[in-house]
Amino acid sequence: MSMTADVLRAFAFAVLQAAALLALAPLLKTAIKKMKARLQNRQGPPLLQGYYDLAKLLRKEPVRSETASWVFVAGPRVYFAAAVAATTLVPVLVAAAPLEMAGGILLLVGTLALGRFALATAALDTGSAFGGMGASRDMTIAALAEPALLLGLFTSALAAGSLNLGGLVRNMLQHGVTFHPSDLLAFAGLFMIVIAETGRIPVDNPATHLELTMIHEAMVLEYAGPDLALVEWASALKELLYLTLLVDLFMPVGIATTAAPAAIVVALLAWIGKVLVLAMAVTITESTNAKLRLFRVPELVSISLGLAFLALAIRFL
Amino acid sequence: MINDLLILSAAGMLVSAYLMVGQKALVTAIRLYGIQSLLLGMVAAAIAASESRHELFVTAAITVGLKAILIPWFLIRIIDRIGIHREIEPFLNVPTSLLVCLGLTVVGYRVSAGFPEGAEGVSHHLIGVALSMLLIGLFLMVTRKKAITQILALLTVENAVFLVAVGVTPGMPLVVELGIAFDVILAVLVLGILVHRIVDRFESMDVSRLSKLKG
Repeated sequence: MSMTADVLRAFAFAVLQAAALLALAPLLKTAIKKMKARLQNRQGPPLLQGYYDLAKLLRKEPVRSETASWVFVAGPRVYFAAAVAATTLVPVLVAAAPLEMAGGILLLVGTLALGRFALATAALDTGSAFGGMGASRDMTIAALAEPALLLGLFTSALAAGSLNLGGLVRNMLQHGVTFHPSDLLAFAGLFMIVIAETGRIPVDNPATHLELTMIHEAMVLEYAGPDLALVEWASALKELLYLTLLVDLFMPVGIATTAAPAAIVVALLAWIGKVLVLAMAVTITESTNAKLRLFRVPELVSISLGLAFLALAIRFL
Repeated sequence: MINDLLILSAAGMLVSAYLMVGQKALVTAIRLYGIQSLLLGMVAAAIAASESRHELFVTAAITVGLKAILIPWFLIRIIDRIGIHREIEPFLNVPTSLLVCLGLTVVGYRVSAGFPEGAEGVSHHLIGVALSMLLIGLFLMVTRKKAITQILALLTVENAVFLVAVGVTPGMPLVVELGIAFDVILAVLVLGILVHRIVDRFESMDVSRLSKLKG
């Protein structure tokens, strides 16, 4: 009896958290755009622009190539579903992930990889040159970024003694936060990975459709209407997810350990503040760097791979 | 709290040394050196505050003023004047250099455990970071061709030695510290002039050309 009640409660929690993050994701994307515009002395879009864009795309009719098969249709849906599923594995306000009995770090990285795989195969499906080019570029970067992401996550897992993100945050809060040099190395490595994975400027430019440089945009170039809306929304959600992950691993102070309303409110304010600080760091990185030549991107990602590996190595010494 | 700050600053110095290896734009490398020196100043100030060794505040001020502001400004002026902005062909490419530096850091960290003070705690990390930076600096010096990068490598080694001197030893007399500070600034000035001479002569900062005869 209590077993099913627990499962039901976990699912309710998961749905609630996923819905909340989904609702906030477009806001974060617009907020970064807005901050970037302010740094360039422009006014920038209104804060609700992300929602307007999604609403516009969702109202449109999907246009699909005649040669497209079910893979093309499935791509954005699997990508979106994977991103939503991934949010249930990450603690946000409370030091527990809704579905943490399902798995930890490995499942999280695997879920995100599944989404990426679905989108890349869908991009290849229509046989257009851009889709194939974008998919190959995205996979090249992912092949380097994924090990770095795992190594960075393992560094924190090793420190906290748990591969489960909920358990990891609980352990860190329980033992008090002490710094180890590997924390900073892992943070630097993971921050670069987040930049690469969310397609931000030194790696990819989210605002360009120039054929020589685009990576993610080339991959989703064939999509229109609701399909595109799903891809955009899932990408925004992934960005929020990555920033939340950084918050969980490196600045867990403030996350609620009990379900008391006061603690939740504090956790909410702390979470918003920390995510905004990270978003600002992303914005500053975007504004102060020029986009790298495509062939130099693996170099940048290998730096972060190196940093993450070093962080893990130092933990043992 | 103070320990956290020390470890964070030291780790920041290591990250900046590491990024310097991965960096080809000379201006960014110089800025990274400036940040590294700023963090060194923070280490000195944190130790000064926690152990109430007030003479270390002077050290911190000298470090920040000299190494975080004056030397980077001077070096940036040099590269602006001679108009060479990138390290084009290092002897080893960036990914290989990074791999080697990974190995060097592991060695530095491992060796630091052998020091009597370095067995554990904050000094373990400080000695580990300093030894790693020392090795990375030496490595950078032998694998890069541009004279400016070699100067930066030398300065990184100097920062590493200073980190141990400030963080682990009971401290140096102020006279010695002032002497070191003047040594560093003199070295940078002389090397700056040398860079000008090299560029005048060879129209390049590539020191590997120095071994070739020129008629």
